Amino acid sequence: MRLELVAHTSDVEALIATAMLTTTSVSDPSTIFHRLKNKPTRVAGLVNRVEVQHGSILDHNRLCWMMEATESEVLDILLMNRFFSFTRLGDSKWLVSSNLRTAIRYAHEHRDSFGEALLDSIRDLVPSLHLDVGRDGR
Amino acid sequence: MKVELLSYLPIDKLRESLKGVDVSPGDLLPHTSFTFAIEGISRACSHQLVRHRLASYSQKSQRYIESDRLKELVVTPRTVAEKEAELFDAFIDTASETYRKLLEADVPREDARFVLPNAAETSLLMTMDGRAIHHFFGLRCCNRAQWEIRALADSMLVRVREVEPKAFRRAGPYCYQLGRCPEGRFSCGRMEEVRERYEKLSL
Repeated sequence: MRLELVAHTSDVEALIATAMLTTTSVSDPSTIFHRLKNKPTRVAGLVNRVEVQHGSILDHNRLCWMMEATESEVLDILLMNRFFSFTRLGDSKWLVSSNLRTAIRYAHEHRDSFGEALLDSIRDLVPSLHLDVGRDGR
Repeated sequence: MKVELLSYLPIDKLRESLKGVDVSPGDLLPHTSFTFAIEGISRACSHQLVRHRLASYSQKSQRYIESDRLKELVVTPRTVAEKEAELFDAFIDTASETYRKLLEADVPREDARFVLPNAAETSLLMTMDGRAIHHFFGLRCCNRAQWEIRALADSMLVRVREVEPKAFRRAGPYCYQLGRCPEGRFSCGRMEEVRERYEKLSL
């Protein structure tokens, strides 16, 4: 199986931080977002505090991967998690997408090559998020 | 009401990333998404909004944020303003006062909020994928939808058409998408008027 992150929505970490503050701040989400968007250090500080299990704040994004896998491997993934979207691109070639929460949850719940590949593909996208916390009892 | 599109995944960018593999725009829709800041809607409207389950929401919490400006931050329906504005205002005053007294009596915010009305304003972050938002427009831009969520759906559609004009040219109420009204005997019977409106809808 091969997996490559090929596209994603913009400002992924800034939107995680915006979602965090939206629920508990008197400021409106657009104000929070524009305040944070160009402050990567502040965003990193907030995202660094996220407990990955508290997942809904990780929903406000979309990540797309190209995947090479057999039909059987794809079926296994679909049976284990209904939140991934798949489109067949050709023989053994697929477009897969989900939000960050789905990807991280899958990797935490299933110790297989797809889970490992998912985490490896998003480490650079969300460098401030502790992706391995809660995984394998860590 | 204020609606801002904060982030989305452009369909052209997604198509380019597929390195020459030809995929129809319809097949790409579920892989795109749109994240909005939605501000100044009523809690009545947000209750309807969250019934769309193929979406994600982060909403201002009445447990964490004190509603100390309730009198200023309410949505008043036009019919109420026209027919019984004083009655409505008196109720908001009473609710506001009761809420304040409960807090003063050391009732926690999470319990004091039980007296807050559906008219109270709220703000939230919402994300929907391209297919889900097409369905949302089909249902909520319809004349049969309630006025506040219809206004919200129209605002969202305007913003989505601005960034994805081709993919969402035919988005709108289902009668506009399908060329026939699926509401049966509940149809508003104004398909021509609706078609004209959504042909033109833009910023």
